[in-house]
Amino acid sequence: MISASAAMTGSYDYLQVVLSVVIAISASYAALDLGGRVTAASGWVRRAWLIGGATAMGFGIWSMHFTGMLAFRLPVLVSYSWPTVLLSLLVAISASAFALYVVSRHELGMVRALAGSVIMGSGIAAMHYIGMAAMRLAAVFRFHPLLVTLSVAFAIAFSFAALILVFDLREETKGTPSRKIASAVVMGAAVSAMHYTGMASASFMPSTVAPGLSHAASVSSLGNAGIVIVTLIVLVTVVLTSAVDRRLASQRAELERGRELATINEELRKEMLERQRAEDALRRSEDQLRLVIDTIPALVWSASPDGSLDFLNQRWLEYTGISSERGLGWAWAEELHPEDREGFVNAWRSAVATGEPFEHDVRVRRADGEYRWFSKRAVPLRDELGHIVKWYGTTTDIEDRKRAECALQEAQAGLSHVTRVTTMGELAAAIAHEVNQPLAAIVTNANFCLRQLASATPNSDKLREAISEIVNDGTRASAVISRIRALLQKSPPERVAVNVNQIIQEVTILLRNEMTRNRVSLRTDLAADLPRVSGDPVQLQQVLINLVMNGIDAMRSLAHRPRELLIKSAKNHNEVSIQVQDSGAGLDPERAEHIFEPFFTTKPEGIGMGLSISRSIVESHGGRLWAESDSKGAMFQFTLPTK
Amino acid sequence: MSNVAPVVFVVDDDPSVRRAIQRLVESIGLQVELFASAQEFLRSKRPDAPSCLVLDIRLPGISGLDFQRQLAEANIHIPIIFITAHGDIPMTVRAMKAGAVEFLTKPFRDQDLLDAIQIALERDRTRRVQETEVAKLRERYESLTPREREVMPLVVSGLLNKQIAAEIGASEATVKVHRSQLMRKMGAESVADLVRMAAEMGIPAAKPKGP
Repeated sequence: MISASAAMTGSYDYLQVVLSVVIAISASYAALDLGGRVTAASGWVRRAWLIGGATAMGFGIWSMHFTGMLAFRLPVLVSYSWPTVLLSLLVAISASAFALYVVSRHELGMVRALAGSVIMGSGIAAMHYIGMAAMRLAAVFRFHPLLVTLSVAFAIAFSFAALILVFDLREETKGTPSRKIASAVVMGAAVSAMHYTGMASASFMPSTVAPGLSHAASVSSLGNAGIVIVTLIVLVTVVLTSAVDRRLASQRAELERGRELATINEELRKEMLERQRAEDALRRSEDQLRLVIDTIPALVWSASPDGSLDFLNQRWLEYTGISSERGLGWAWAEELHPEDREGFVNAWRSAVATGEPFEHDVRVRRADGEYRWFSKRAVPLRDELGHIVKWYGTTTDIEDRKRAECALQEAQAGLSHVTRVTTMGELAAAIAHEVNQPLAAIVTNANFCLRQLASATPNSDKLREAISEIVNDGTRASAVISRIRALLQKSPPERVAVNVNQIIQEVTILLRNEMTRNRVSLRTDLAADLPRVSGDPVQLQQVLINLVMNGIDAMRSLAHRPRELLIKSAKNHNEVSIQVQDSGAGLDPERAEHIFEPFFTTKPEGIGMGLSISRSIVESHGGRLWAESDSKGAMFQFTLPTK
Repeated sequence: MSNVAPVVFVVDDDPSVRRAIQRLVESIGLQVELFASAQEFLRSKRPDAPSCLVLDIRLPGISGLDFQRQLAEANIHIPIIFITAHGDIPMTVRAMKAGAVEFLTKPFRDQDLLDAIQIALERDRTRRVQETEVAKLRERYESLTPREREVMPLVVSGLLNKQIAAEIGASEATVKVHRSQLMRKMGAESVADLVRMAAEMGIPAAKPKGP
C-alpha cells in the first residue's frame, strides 16, 4: 500500500559525488587505453586483454555507480542485497567486454557503432537499475518515467561517444595523453550525468514495510572507502600495465624496426662493399694493364694520327736508354742508323698517310752506342667513321735473331754438303747389297754350268735348272734396281711454279760462307721478267748447289788467277737457262765426256754421283744439262722448259 | 772316323744364293744342308761328321758375326766361311780374328769358295781326330788307380823314381810298379809319349813339393 505522504528527501554527500566522478573519469581513461591494447594484441594475448580490460572497466563503471549511490543519503537505513549487487557488477563487466570487443574490430561503421552503443548503453542502464534494485530500505521507489528514459538515452549516447572516441584514439599515434585525458573527462562526465539522471528519476516513498533483509548488507563508510580504493588501484594497475605493455610493444616494434633497419643497413653495406670491390677490381685491372704494358718483354709505343710518337712504355725507355724527350714526337729519327734513317722515315710517313699497317726493320742506336736491328710494326686504330685516332706499335729487337739466321744459313750450307755425301754413301751400300745378292747367285750358277760343261758327262737337267735360275736372278737384279729408283722417288717430286732467280738467290745465300772461305767472288747476272718454270724447288736447288760446289772445288787449286764464279739466268724462247761459270782450269777434253757418268769423279773425296744425279733431276723436269769448257774455265748450263 | 761323309752347311736368307751354292758344292761330291736363318741351323740335328758352315753376314734377326760368337760360346767349334754382299775391312778383320776360315764378298769366284770349303773341312777333320784321340786317352786315364793318377803328373814332370817315392812317401820299388802299370794302361811307349798324352788331356806336370 502506498501512502500519500511526501517523498523522502535525500541529500548527497558531495565528497562521495566527486569521488564517483573521478572514478568515472578514471574508468573512461582505462577504457580509452585498453581499446588500443586490445586492438594491438592478437591471439590469446588479445583475449587476456579483453577479459582483463573488461573486468577492470566494468568494475570501474560499477564502482562509480555504486559510489554515486552511496553518495545519496536517505533518512532511513539503507542496506544492499549483495547477490543483486554482484549481478549488476557482472552486467557492467559484460557491457564493457562487449564495448571493448566492438572497438577493437578493424572497422567501425555507423551501423555497428549504433548497435554497439545501444547494447552497451542498455547494459549500463541495466547495471544502474539492477544496482538500485539491490537497495534494501524502508521505502518504496517511484520512478519518474521521463527521467528514466532520459537516463537510458544518456547511457546510449554516452556509449556511442565512448565507442567513437575509443575507436578513434586506439591508435597509438593519435592517443596522446592530453587528448586521452580530455576524452576521459568528457566520458566520465557523461557517465556521471547518466548516473545522476537515473538517480534523479527515482523518488523514495517512506514505507512501513520492513525491507527483506535476507542477503542484505549495509555498507559502512569504511567499506565504501575500500570499494573506491580497490577500484582506483585496479584502474591504475590496468592503466600502468597498459602503459608498460605499450612501452614493451613499442619497444618490440622498435626492435622490429631496428631489425629491419639492420637488414637494410646490412644490404646497403653489402652493396657498398660490392661497389668498393668493383672499384678496387677496376683499379687493379687498370694497374695491371699498366703493369702489363710496362713489363711485357716488348717495346710498346703509340703515335698520333700525324705520326708523331706520344707514348713509350717503360721497357722501351729502359731498353733503348733513350729518354722520353728524345723518343717522343719526331726526335727518335736521330737515333736511327744514318743508312736506314731516310728509308725508315719515308716508310713511316707513307704508312701514316695511307693508313696501311706498318712494318719495317731498322737499326737503332742503343744507350750503349751499339746499333741493333729492330723490327718496328704498327697498326692504326680508327673511329667509327674510319678516321685514324691512334697508331699502336711495337719495337722488337731482332739483332739476335738476325745473327742466328746467319748462323743457321751457314750451318745449312755445311749440312747440305754433308748430307749430300753421307746419303750417297748409304745409298751406295744399299745398292751394293741388294744387287750383289742376285749377282752372287748368277755368278755361282754360271760357274757351276761351266764346270758341268767341262766335265766328261754334263748333267743336262742340272744345267737347265741352273741356267733358268740365272735368268730369274738376272730379272731379280733388274727389279732391285727399279725398286731403288722408286725408293729414291718415294716423295713424288713437287711441281710448282718456280722463280728461278729466287732459287739462285737462295743458293748464293746458302753458299755465301763456302765462297768466302774459298775466296771466291760471286757475280750474278739475272734476267729480269724471267718466266716461272714448273718444278720442284728443292731438287732444282740441289742441282744448283751441286754446280756451284763443283765450281768452287774447281777453283780451289788456283793460285795466281782470280777465283770468279758467275751465275747467270736467261730467257730463251720457250725455256729458261741457268749458267754456272767458273774461272778454273776447265775440263780435260778426254774426261769431259765422262763427267756425267755415275761414279766418275775427278775429286779425291768425291763419289762421282753429283753430276749424274743433277742431270737426272734436270731431265725429269724436261730440261737438259751439259758442260762447256775453254781455257778460261768450265761452264755448266741447264735449261728448264717454261711450258 | 774320317770315312764318314763330310757335310757343308749353308746359312743365307737368300734362297737363290743358297741353291746356287748347293749346286756348286754338290758338283764336287760334297753333301750340303741349307738353312734360311741362324735359328734354323741351331735347331737342326747335325750329323756327327766333319763339317763346315758357309755363313752370310747379313742374316734376319742376328748378324753373322754375332752368330759366330754365339757358336763359340756354346762350344760349337765348326769352321766358318763368311760370305757377304757388302763387306768392309773392319768386318773382315773381326771375322778372321774370331777364327773364320775365309771371308768372301759376293759375287765370289767359285774356286775361292770351294777351296775355302776344303780347307774348312780339313780343319774340322783334324779337330775331330784330336777330339777322338783325347776321348780315347780320357777313357784310359779313367782306368788308372788313384795312386797311379797321383804318380802320373810326377812322371810327366820328369822326376826319377826315387824322387817320386820321396814325394808320395812310398818305397822306390812300389813306385816302379805304379809307373810300369801307368805306362801300360795309358799305352805310352815312352815318357815323351806320356807327356804328349798329358798335354792333350790338359793334365799339367806336377811341381815337386820337396826340395
